[in-house]
Amino acid sequence: MRFTLLGLLLGFLGIVSALSATGSSLLVIIEEEADKSKYSQFWADLQGRGYEITYRSPKDTNLSLFLHGEPAYSHLLLLPPKSKGLGPNLTPNLLVDFINGGSNILLALSAEQAVPTAINSLLLELDINLPSDRTSLVVDHLAYDLTSSAEKHDVLLIPSAEPKKGVVDFFSVDGLVAFPRAVGQVLGNASPMLSSIVKAGASAYIYNPKEETEGVEDPFATGSQINIVSAFQARNSARFTVLGSSEALQDTWFDAKVRLPGTDYKAGKTSNKEFAQRLSEWAFKEIGVLRVEQVQHSLDEDTKDINPKIYRVKNDVRYSIEISEWDVDQWIPFNPPTGDAVQLEFSMLSPFHRLSLNSSPSTTNKDATAFSTTFRTPDQHGIFNFYVEYRRPFFTAIEDKQTVTVRHFAHDEFPRSYEISAAWPWISGIWVTIGGWLAFVAIWLYSKPTRDNKPASAKK
Amino acid sequence: MKFLRGIALGLVSLSSVVLAASEWSFQDATLYVQAKGAGVGKPIKETLVPGATGLSFPVGLSSADTLKIVLTTTENGKPKRPHQAFLNLRELETGLEENIAFTLKDNGKGKVELTQKDLPIQFLTSKSFIRVSLLLASFGNSVPYTAYAFEMEVVNDGSIVVPPPAERYTVKEEIHHIFRDDPKQPPAFISVFFAFAVLATLPILLGSWLMLGGNISHASKAFGANPLAHSLFFGSIIAMEAVFFLYYLSWNLFQTLPVAGVVGLVAFVSGSRALTEVQDRRLAGER
Repeated sequence: MRFTLLGLLLGFLGIVSALSATGSSLLVIIEEEADKSKYSQFWADLQGRGYEITYRSPKDTNLSLFLHGEPAYSHLLLLPPKSKGLGPNLTPNLLVDFINGGSNILLALSAEQAVPTAINSLLLELDINLPSDRTSLVVDHLAYDLTSSAEKHDVLLIPSAEPKKGVVDFFSVDGLVAFPRAVGQVLGNASPMLSSIVKAGASAYIYNPKEETEGVEDPFATGSQINIVSAFQARNSARFTVLGSSEALQDTWFDAKVRLPGTDYKAGKTSNKEFAQRLSEWAFKEIGVLRVEQVQHSLDEDTKDINPKIYRVKNDVRYSIEISEWDVDQWIPFNPPTGDAVQLEFSMLSPFHRLSLNSSPSTTNKDATAFSTTFRTPDQHGIFNFYVEYRRPFFTAIEDKQTVTVRHFAHDEFPRSYEISAAWPWISGIWVTIGGWLAFVAIWLYSKPTRDNKPASAKK
Repeated sequence: MKFLRGIALGLVSLSSVVLAASEWSFQDATLYVQAKGAGVGKPIKETLVPGATGLSFPVGLSSADTLKIVLTTTENGKPKRPHQAFLNLRELETGLEENIAFTLKDNGKGKVELTQKDLPIQFLTSKSFIRVSLLLASFGNSVPYTAYAFEMEVVNDGSIVVPPPAERYTVKEEIHHIFRDDPKQPPAFISVFFAFAVLATLPILLGSWLMLGGNISHASKAFGANPLAHSLFFGSIIAMEAVFFLYYLSWNLFQTLPVAGVVGLVAFVSGSRALTEVQDRRLAGER
């Protein structure tokens, strides 16, 4: 989070027109200068959005991702290399360091060339599995483009999927997106940092065209288990995006005329241009970047004393956190997707309370949404945290921790003894003692003998 | 150029679809469900017909069962092997899908076998039926076959172990702290009864002193002899009780101690005078 903010500041200082929240320097790894023109619309779009693009070949010996130990670029776009590997300057280790430095990577693959083993092993580190025979591609005999791949069925036409409940929808576009000769990915189940952006259709499967068999018997993956585009967001919120088909970014497929097979012969233009824009916006942190603006907590009845260091057990406490979201070129109020909520934990080792916060427009900051709640501190003294951890697919992580002390009741904060009915016999006992003592003193001092007891005193 | 070629390809494919739409289908298809041990339940044997509405009843699959489909795939009625021959399983509740590939020979004859072990855990724990369809397709302009075949019911006989769900970044369940109970009080009337019982001892004490002859008749005599000492001494004893009372109500120790010291000093000095007067009365035989 701190790096993100630092990056933000640097980004603002560097170039005002930069749209990304982290910086505008983009390194594109492209092997042949001639291939550059194939993507001219995509480059023009990126440059129009304020990116300073550097094109380098993976064979370039001067190529380095780092300068003085820090990432030299904010973003990296890796296009599939023609040669077998990416060379010594782009080893998986360096790419992982690049992500750990807070920079973003968009990796485009293509089934036209064999996927380098270095990339295979890099993706394996992130729990993204590619087919082990490196020339496999995805085909779908029910959702291919009749115009361009009538025989091979390897140009997939995929409509935007319904977003999952509680997950933000950054990528849906109208119409079909064409993914020619895509490399399918299978995401591991264990990592919550992986998410799927585009899945293949139900009838798709992965096969190796080099294999000389007539039928596929043991496919690597089938149906919607195949991901065409997938995303990995690291703990430092750096983004790693895998695009299965680099050709989808080429001019040929921007607004190309395509037709689905079937009886209705649905024809139309591809939405690749819009999708490429959305994908690069997300991959290079132009959208989905969150920032904490202001955190306030106080006693519910005394809202003047803001962010005190100490509370008592069973205090009614009000908490509010303001969050804004970077949307292409400005901060806007952040609203979680439907079915989702920002949650506050009041925790000492483990949460005592975990509450979903109510959102309302911020009264002080027009670019932020205030999320607030009131609750009663638990009847346990100790050092507690107001802890907001918001980690969701496609959003950068928010972690905010405010430490406070929760103390016991002080000796004069307990209920008075006369408020406790069980104490009444004891209180009356004290009053009886006081009354009896005063009466005893009075009688001892001032009592007159009832009969003449002179003889007794004479004896003394 | 490429564009023109694309159009040409499209036209070719269109015409070929119109002219010779070779369709994938199958024949001689039979569905078996057999338990491993013989004699456990009745084995199912049903014939599947292409294009039909599918089986009218759900097919049960328990942990010992093996579901097997034997068929011959055809293209335009002739046995031929397609590139893709899948049994597509779809869980209706979540929309989760799984494909299982047929093992086919070149002449289109083949089979698929399915046990509970082949299914993902979501299928095994599903409350709804699993929709099974057949998918036969290949390259070129052949028309794929995809149609619903039957519904499958996974019988959970207790052998299915559900693993804990994998971690996902999503909204978590709320936690509300459960506070300890407030201290309990006995019924108020019991406290009131005993409070009065305690208070009643004071009149009893005073009454018994009166009966034994206790009185304060010498008060005027004592105050007459040494009015200052007696009023200060008795007053300071009452004042000391008042100090204690204020300490109980609101004072702290630093307010209480100086006042108690002053009152104590007054009591000490005036007390010695007052008690001298009391001693005088005793020596005079008046006590």
